[in-house]
Amino acid sequence: MKIQGKVWKYGDDINTDVIFAGKYTYTIKDRAEMAKVALEDLDPEFTKNAQAGDIIVGGKNWGCGSSREQAVTCLKERGIGAIIAKGFARIYYRNCLNEGLPIIVSAEAVDAINAGETVEVDFDASEIKTASGKVFKFPPYPEFVRGLIEDGGLIPHVKKSLGLSK
Amino acid sequence: MGKTMIQKIIQRASGKEVQVGDRVWCKIDLSTARDFGGPNCVLQFDEVTDKAKVWDPDKIAFTFDLQAPAHAEKVANNQKIIRDFAKRQGISKVFDVNWGIGQHVLLEHGLVKPGDVILGTDSHMNLLGGVGAFATGVGNTDIVASWINGTLWFRVPETMRITTTGSFGKGVCMRDYLTFLVGKLGADGMFFKAVEYYGETIEKSSLADRITLCSMVTEMSGKVGLITPNGEVLDWLVKRAGKEVIERIEAMKADSDAIYSDDLHFDVSKLEPMASCPDAPDNVKTVREVAGTHIDQVHIGSCSNGRFEDIAAAFEVLKDAGFQVSDNVRTIITPTTREVMKQCAEAGFIQKFLEAGVVFTNPTCSLCTAEHYGVLPGGDVGVSTTNRNFIGKVGKGSHTYLVSPMTAMASAVKGVLTDPRDILK
Repeated sequence: MKIQGKVWKYGDDINTDVIFAGKYTYTIKDRAEMAKVALEDLDPEFTKNAQAGDIIVGGKNWGCGSSREQAVTCLKERGIGAIIAKGFARIYYRNCLNEGLPIIVSAEAVDAINAGETVEVDFDASEIKTASGKVFKFPPYPEFVRGLIEDGGLIPHVKKSLGLSK
Repeated sequence: MGKTMIQKIIQRASGKEVQVGDRVWCKIDLSTARDFGGPNCVLQFDEVTDKAKVWDPDKIAFTFDLQAPAHAEKVANNQKIIRDFAKRQGISKVFDVNWGIGQHVLLEHGLVKPGDVILGTDSHMNLLGGVGAFATGVGNTDIVASWINGTLWFRVPETMRITTTGSFGKGVCMRDYLTFLVGKLGADGMFFKAVEYYGETIEKSSLADRITLCSMVTEMSGKVGLITPNGEVLDWLVKRAGKEVIERIEAMKADSDAIYSDDLHFDVSKLEPMASCPDAPDNVKTVREVAGTHIDQVHIGSCSNGRFEDIAAAFEVLKDAGFQVSDNVRTIITPTTREVMKQCAEAGFIQKFLEAGVVFTNPTCSLCTAEHYGVLPGGDVGVSTTNRNFIGKVGKGSHTYLVSPMTAMASAVKGVLTDPRDILK
């Protein structure tokens, strides 16, 4: 799998409140509606203009704070191809794998990537290529995680293992 | 090679010999959801299973704590989604708006044993590590998957060992130690790790203090903090959850040759009252450094610091100040559970708090979000015993200092941030 997309770049400790605002957690239950308000309190430009295939680049501890899964769902539904960060908060990390949203930890790549540039992520070769041609390797997913992502997330994976899927 | 507590817990739950870094499927002892996140779990479960039966209605519980009782139609409608689902599925463990904060209610009902694997839609589920349970906050997909077949995947984490010695000085308590730890280790200081707490300070501490210490592991990116029940805490737990507690404790004790990723030691004897300053839990200073700061509201409560011992500590400060809070601040106290509220009533606290000008509320999570009464307007500064102070967390444009119940009450009395040692006799 290979993806290419425009970068939206943010800093450290971006918490789930600003990825998906608390005020929407009670009223919005439709996944497509969640996508429309993604990052509203952090970056209204993103909310307005992000396109399917775009890539988010964050600092350390991306997705800290509340356990709300909408903070992952809204980006997955928006079509975000991957999140590259220096680190992810624990629950957010799980939620990404469970939703089948690829995430990559690479501090070196984060430092080298500029906002707005187009980067390429090659999951088979486990590398990130920046616009200026710099290449950063990242550790390949363990088999278990790869299984989750390839099945499209935890629920399809569990259903498949129980013989419940089509 | 020896095993740590979390390795032993995961071995019991998975039926497998495990090493750090392994990913394994674990049997779930209790899978819970609350009024926040719970409705999403229910809707997702019905959608992906076409309204199938849950794996085991006796191992599922619902708690209503974030906005209880419902203060708006949208909240009321969401709570109804849970009640209807529980009825249809034959789930009897439903703790409605009259009970209080979920983890504490589960604990008081004897539904938590050392070594249990417990899920919930609350990022502070792990406070149940205070009695040695591996409880963890998860998203709705994890909950839904567990309701399908009673299992969930986990990565076996590294374990950090923290040994604590010494006794707290006057006006200083476990919350100050915890705030010190968050400042010292930082927001990612326990990154995905389990923590085992040892030492005389911990062995002598109350259940409330152990809960405080384990609750805030989340604020250091840890998975769970674990404390082996002993003394009065053990007696309390056996009374609630039965004698099996004792066997469980034996089975999950860490081996003497267990491998730890970090081995830290702290002495609390010279610790001072501490504060997490705006706008991050790890922006830590002593209360002395920020004393005199203007404040608009004081809140004592939350899953971290709203138990009877916490409220009693605040009461002592209020007593020494002559039972009057400042007219310049709004002071709100929220007990953790109905049981705690009853204790406060029996001790005569509530009468005194009301006379002093305090708003004493029913048990809820209360001011952990901006979706509850007590919300702060833009520009206001709050003092709180909750666990997060990200900007706007309890109201857009507001700022919060996180402190101990004693510092919170001292500040309520003086109307500015105050070191409780300036009031305590």
